[in-house]
Amino acid sequence: MDPMFSPALHRQRHEFVIDFVRSYKPKKVVDLGCSECSLLKQLKFHLEIELLAGVDIDGAILKKKMCGLAPLSTDYLQPRNDQLRIDLYQGSVTQKDARLIGFDLVTSIELIEHLTLADVKLFSEVVFGYMTPVAVIVSTPNADFNPLFRRMSGFRHSDHKFEWSRAEFKSWALKVCLDYGYEVEFSGVGQAPPGYQENVGFCSQIGVFHRLGVSEVCNTLCSTDAEDVSSYTLLYSKIFPSLRDNNILRRVLASEVLYWAEKLGRRWVEEKTGVKDDADTPDQAGGDGEERHRAPENPLQLEEKQTAACGAAMKSLVEHQEVGKLDRELFWTDGGGQQESRKLGRRRRSRFRGQWVCRRHAVPPQC
Amino acid sequence: MFFSNFIENLAQCSDLQVRSILVVFIFLSSSSIVSMVVHIMKPIFFLSSKSYAQGEPEPPAPPPAEGELVGRGRQKGAPGPFSAEAVLQISAGFQQVKLGERGGRRRDFNDVGINTRRAMEHVKDSKLGTSGSPIPLTANFFRIMSRPEWVLYQYHVDFNPPMEARRLRSALLYQHKDVLGPADSFDGALLFLPNRLAQKETVLHSETRNGEKVQITVTMTNELPPTSPVCIQFYNILFRRILRILDMQQIGRNYYNPNDPLDIPKHSLTIWPGYTTTILKYETSIMLCTDVSHKVLRSETVLDFMANLRQKCGNQRFPEICAKELVGLIVLTKYNNKTYRIDEIAWDHTPNNTFTRGDKDISFKDYYKMQYNLDIVDVNQVLLVSQVKRLGPATAPPPGPAMLIPELCFLTGLTDKMRADYMIMKDLSTHTRLDPMAREGRLNRFVRNIHKNPDARAELDKWGLSFDKQLLSLTGRVLPAERLFQGSRSYDYRPSEAEWSREMRGLPLISAPPLENWLFLTTRRTSTEAQALLQSLNRVSGPLNIRIQRPVMIEYEDHQESLLRTLQQNVGPQTQMVVVVLPSNRKDKYDSVKKYLCVDCPTPSQCVVGRTLSKPSSLMTVATKIALQLACKMGGELWSVEIPLKQLMIVGIDCYHDTVAGKRSIGALVASLNQGMTRWFSKCVFQHRGQEIMDGLKMALCAALKDYLKFNNYLPSRIIVYRDGVGDGQLHSVVNYEVAQIIESIKSMGHDYVPRLSVVVVKKRINSRFFAQMDGKVSNPPPGTVVDSEVTRPEWYDFYIVSQAVRSGSVSPTHYNVVYDTSGLKPDHMQRLTYKLCHMYYNWQGIVRVPAPCQYAHKLAFLVGQSIHREPNVKLDELLFYL
Repeated sequence: MDPMFSPALHRQRHEFVIDFVRSYKPKKVVDLGCSECSLLKQLKFHLEIELLAGVDIDGAILKKKMCGLAPLSTDYLQPRNDQLRIDLYQGSVTQKDARLIGFDLVTSIELIEHLTLADVKLFSEVVFGYMTPVAVIVSTPNADFNPLFRRMSGFRHSDHKFEWSRAEFKSWALKVCLDYGYEVEFSGVGQAPPGYQENVGFCSQIGVFHRLGVSEVCNTLCSTDAEDVSSYTLLYSKIFPSLRDNNILRRVLASEVLYWAEKLGRRWVEEKTGVKDDADTPDQAGGDGEERHRAPENPLQLEEKQTAACGAAMKSLVEHQEVGKLDRELFWTDGGGQQESRKLGRRRRSRFRGQWVCRRHAVPPQC
Repeated sequence: MFFSNFIENLAQCSDLQVRSILVVFIFLSSSSIVSMVVHIMKPIFFLSSKSYAQGEPEPPAPPPAEGELVGRGRQKGAPGPFSAEAVLQISAGFQQVKLGERGGRRRDFNDVGINTRRAMEHVKDSKLGTSGSPIPLTANFFRIMSRPEWVLYQYHVDFNPPMEARRLRSALLYQHKDVLGPADSFDGALLFLPNRLAQKETVLHSETRNGEKVQITVTMTNELPPTSPVCIQFYNILFRRILRILDMQQIGRNYYNPNDPLDIPKHSLTIWPGYTTTILKYETSIMLCTDVSHKVLRSETVLDFMANLRQKCGNQRFPEICAKELVGLIVLTKYNNKTYRIDEIAWDHTPNNTFTRGDKDISFKDYYKMQYNLDIVDVNQVLLVSQVKRLGPATAPPPGPAMLIPELCFLTGLTDKMRADYMIMKDLSTHTRLDPMAREGRLNRFVRNIHKNPDARAELDKWGLSFDKQLLSLTGRVLPAERLFQGSRSYDYRPSEAEWSREMRGLPLISAPPLENWLFLTTRRTSTEAQALLQSLNRVSGPLNIRIQRPVMIEYEDHQESLLRTLQQNVGPQTQMVVVVLPSNRKDKYDSVKKYLCVDCPTPSQCVVGRTLSKPSSLMTVATKIALQLACKMGGELWSVEIPLKQLMIVGIDCYHDTVAGKRSIGALVASLNQGMTRWFSKCVFQHRGQEIMDGLKMALCAALKDYLKFNNYLPSRIIVYRDGVGDGQLHSVVNYEVAQIIESIKSMGHDYVPRLSVVVVKKRINSRFFAQMDGKVSNPPPGTVVDSEVTRPEWYDFYIVSQAVRSGSVSPTHYNVVYDTSGLKPDHMQRLTYKLCHMYYNWQGIVRVPAPCQYAHKLAFLVGQSIHREPNVKLDELLFYL
């Protein structure tokens, strides 16, 4: 296909989904026909998502690509605040699986045109009637646009079973809305050249479906009486490290508190004694190699200092939390090197506040 | 290096088929095991069938002439056992095609395919030593067990009618699981199976979802023996996959377990325990070599680190100190699993700067928001620059530098400053320094975990492979302790301690020039310590037979300039030695003393930090060490061991990589001048970018030979070069380039001068570990332990020696690889000579890890790289002034 879109069309489609995620902040998202998992790979950076699932009929390709979805090393170093689980299933979208009920967003990007019309019917039934998500994004090629590809005959891909015109897509979408209680908005990506837009529309047409009456609690109740079927095979499931995990929370909290206690303690010692610790001054032994020695400090004395400093640190921590707001205002008016330190402090502290909040969330169920 | 040559050569070929290999190589970064092996296979396959047959331009360094089409596994129709010879050929023929890691650089870190043993007649049959007493050992190796006759089968798959989409092709082939079995790896054209299909050509029929009938022909093209390089590569990929199944994270070359971190909040460090793993063909079998490794990570971002640093050192000095601390460090990013090395700091860039993406300009801030939903809070931060070195096809432009956002980067590893911080290192070592018992336990647990994990087992079973459950047992030898000579006196040391400071007490040195005209500089603050040192020096020097006269005492102001001025005014051509007592361990004063006294006014010097002298209890020990150092810096000889070879010159080479000052590397060469190996000639050279270190060292070697001639009135009849500082994957450049350079510079001494030459590559940083059983406890092997079987490589003349003794942790053996040898020395003599040389380092009254000339060369290169930054004066060449 001609490289007539910039950025590339597939990227624009993903952009569309991501924009949607940004504005609606769904917590549970499933991508049907996720194939190489490239959309999932981008979505995992959206911290508001707590459950991310992918379904594809080709298990081999999922197995090949699933490692790319694993947490990054840095995800362990700085665990996220909210949990995230990524599940990949091998299965057909024409079959039901209870594990996919109750999602906030279902995306089906360039999928339905690979199904036969009979299967599309099943697909509608499964997605809109059974999975009953809050929102659905369906994209499919727009046949009206095809005349603009001059050298092309037939369909855009050999595996396409059909390519719908705008009217055909609309009629399917409206029927779905009527049958299952959704409303739809039409949109698309891939602008036609100037002058053509009116006649041909977007290169990829997109329908964004919203379930009617979401505010009512009906959905969760409906889904409970659905039969418990699981026709998909779970190929991959990964829980990301997050502060919701009590062990991780405890570890991060302990290390953060100790870090600050240590830091404040050192500052306190410096202020008291007026001597800067040697470690801070530019280092490097002047003496030669092996003959270097360092007099160890009196360990008992040090310990005493540390406990005292620890108390101070805890106290100042509480204070910091209270003055946090004031601090933020100060931060903008302050100048120079101080600003740096404040900035740093603020970042650390705000992270802290997050953790305390988490703790409130996380602990009660067990306690 | 080879690889790029290979690519270039191919690019010249007109044959379209061959050109397609280029494309294949680009795809090498694909993440899966399946495509990995297959893609690697492709060029090999094509090469043998196309470019050879059609008489295309030859690839560089064609494989050995004996036997045609070696190296690419066994061709079909030639079954039978694999002779050792064939295996060697395979390994040699393979060297043009360097295999790469997933998505990374195509570098061969294990120096596979460099066969140096073949050229050495005297070790062809055996490279085993004989002396010493046998000792049972275990090593951190696990055998890989496969069914007898295990072979990896390679098939070519054809589709009729031809299918375009790779996905479709795999799906079609997938329908025949029952025929092909559970394990396969298929990239769309080549298929690997652990089992042989019934016929050589299998015809299968599939149907697409449109009802189109497709005929698939699977033809066997190759049988790969377990020792073929492709199989070894395959094992490594398989093993990495298993590590991922075990939930390990890859950082750099190794895998670490992020779920069980050790936090050191005091220094905001996190340690991840992990393992280094390599699967290779060792002497007798294919083994997994695995060692415990720890990754130090920082729980703070680079931005936090910079803010802290700015707070500590102030705005003025910040840029300089920041660059010094950060450049050379490896960072992890928040958005991918890649590691980057910081090469530069772009002080004039911020996240608001733009770069071109596609055909539009986009700012870094917007890019990260759009692509990864990452908000950059601080828009005023400077950016980090990393030069991305990736070997692409020769035609593509080299990738530009990567700009990194400090806020999105986490530091890994330790800065030089942290390494110098005693407290941090102590805290770290409590976690990372494992005694032999703990280390062995960890390794066993690791292999047990693999055996226990059902997924990992399933993966291995599928391919018919398994690992030994036990560490490899082997027999080493403990060389007898050496006798040390000091003039007419001689003594033994206790072999278990590998140290003789006690035995040496009260014995006169071999020789020490009298210290008559020397300066003693001190500040007012340290004058008491200085006096104490002077008195103690006088007391210890008598028994050592060093005659020390009263020095000229000079007091200097505690400034760098005043210290330098004092030196300029007082040091004259007659001055033998300058001793400076420094009030603190500030580097700038030390540097200026060394710089002035090594370059401008060549005089040996000795710096002492005042604090070292403040403890009366240790003063005598310190004074003894200083007295010994003074003696050898002036050309004194402390002790010697018996060296039976006559007219021998030992050369040590090491290099130091100065990452800060313009990335210069410094090569140092130290050569022995006399029979007792007590006098040394030292020279160091600067290597500039794009230059081989040996270019400069050639001149240094000539100078050493000339000096030897002057010293002895004859040239050495044997030269043994110990080359240290060779990184993983650089062996080929030593073998192919440096050896030739060494020979050439020897030739330049005269036409009829043909000494016997040996070149030994010394490697300290290796993953092999040995454990001994002592009193029913797992412990370190005793000093002098030599291992030259089982875990060595069949294609090399190599051995391990554990020469040093350690008080805590596990001892790390040193690997010696003799890459060139016309000396005709028996392996046993080579091993013993090497061990003897480890006794000759005068700055330590004990055995060191490497032969003394290597340690001297290291010390010289380090001093020049750290402090002097210029070539030392030639007048110092014959002195160990850098100790």
